Amino acid sequence: MSSDLERRYRRVLRLLPGWYRQQWEEDMVGAFLDSWLTGDPQTDESVMEFCRPTMGEVASVLALAVRLHLGGPGTPRRHAWGQAIRRAVLAMLLMHAVLAADILVSLVRSHSLVGWLPLPPGAEPTASPGGAWTTVYCLANVAWIVAFVTLALGRYPVARVLAALAIVPGLVALLQAQFTGFFPAPFGPWAFWVPLDLAPILAMTAFHRGAPRVAPRRWLAALPAGYLLVYGPVLALQETGNFAWLPDFSGLCCILVSLACMAHAPRAWSRRAPGTGPWSLALVLLGAVFAVYRIASLTSYGGDPHLMTVSLTELLVLLAAVTLVAPDAARAQAEAPGPRHPRAMTA
Amino acid sequence: MTGQAFFVLTALAGGPRHGYGIVGEVAELSGGRVNLKIGSLYGVLDRLAAEGLIEPDREEARDGRLRRYYRLTHDGRRALAQEADLRAATARVVRARLGRADPAAAGAAG
Repeated sequence: MSSDLERRYRRVLRLLPGWYRQQWEEDMVGAFLDSWLTGDPQTDESVMEFCRPTMGEVASVLALAVRLHLGGPGTPRRHAWGQAIRRAVLAMLLMHAVLAADILVSLVRSHSLVGWLPLPPGAEPTASPGGAWTTVYCLANVAWIVAFVTLALGRYPVARVLAALAIVPGLVALLQAQFTGFFPAPFGPWAFWVPLDLAPILAMTAFHRGAPRVAPRRWLAALPAGYLLVYGPVLALQETGNFAWLPDFSGLCCILVSLACMAHAPRAWSRRAPGTGPWSLALVLLGAVFAVYRIASLTSYGGDPHLMTVSLTELLVLLAAVTLVAPDAARAQAEAPGPRHPRAMTA
Repeated sequence: MTGQAFFVLTALAGGPRHGYGIVGEVAELSGGRVNLKIGSLYGVLDRLAAEGLIEPDREEARDGRLRRYYRLTHDGRRALAQEADLRAATARVVRARLGRADPAAAGAAG
């Protein structure tokens, strides 16, 4: 039968998250009670009945609870966020790499550099690539592709440097537009540069030295697959002249994340599929980034009710799709930690 | 490695111990300077276990409760040895600098 002192300690330990109590509560209660025992049965009996947890003990449990709830090192929250951020960053770099591949292919086509490639619709052949900016533009796009590949291969510092270099031309162009007073909308191209260029590069700090390696083959295979899946239909629409069906880039991003959420939802809802939480959280993060981008780019369509309706519909579909995986993302933060966590420890 | 983690690993280097046993051993090792609270101890144990540096050894019944003992893993032993070397090297550098900077100490030594 449990003593009064034990019950008091268990009450204090309720401050700790459930997953942690499941692992450590019995040990902690035992250690707390051991600290009171004197070896004299009569004294120990009185202690168990009348003593209370000290302020120092309560404070130490409270400090531990705060660290665990806020996601300190080694906690499931920290683990889930680390995994989710790394996956979201890889997905963002994949998007840049696919975009860069498309830009490079378009450049090659428009300059007729490869004889058998047809010109893009409406494009006039150009005699030669023009000026230093075109070269810088090409190099920036190549840098995105190489940054993605090196990140997938685990060369984190190289990937960080390349990605940081890749966003410089865009920043220079933005600053030039800012200072020359040429800005098409209230936020202008900053709406792209901040959430889609700058944010993932800042988030690349999640790829620290101790971060687990990603599965490189899958991510590398995603580059050609992503290009074909995204630009295959886009090019088909362009070639057939159905431009009206083409979404703008932020719309395309919303549609892609929505489709990914819908594809992932059955696994996220299935209790039998373990480890879905970090992917759900990554999709929620991507959804948040692209929702911000969609909202910021709405200002470009202020005068066109049709485009506004289409853009808002894309936004609503995205929010609905993210809602499908959001509960699983929330669960991931309080669930099974990493594979080395001793949750399943047995003596 | 934090000071608390270093002391906990050192306490376990002497053999498997249960939670309160570790608290007592750490107090003794540190000459009473480090008084681990139970909340802090289990924060440290959780992290060390997650890093694979400690693992459960056995459980013993005591006063109707099971006491779980912990022991160092191979990785834990290696990490503790590395940390001890690092701290010893740092201490040597500090002593050497103090010796150079403090003429009184240098004079006493000479």
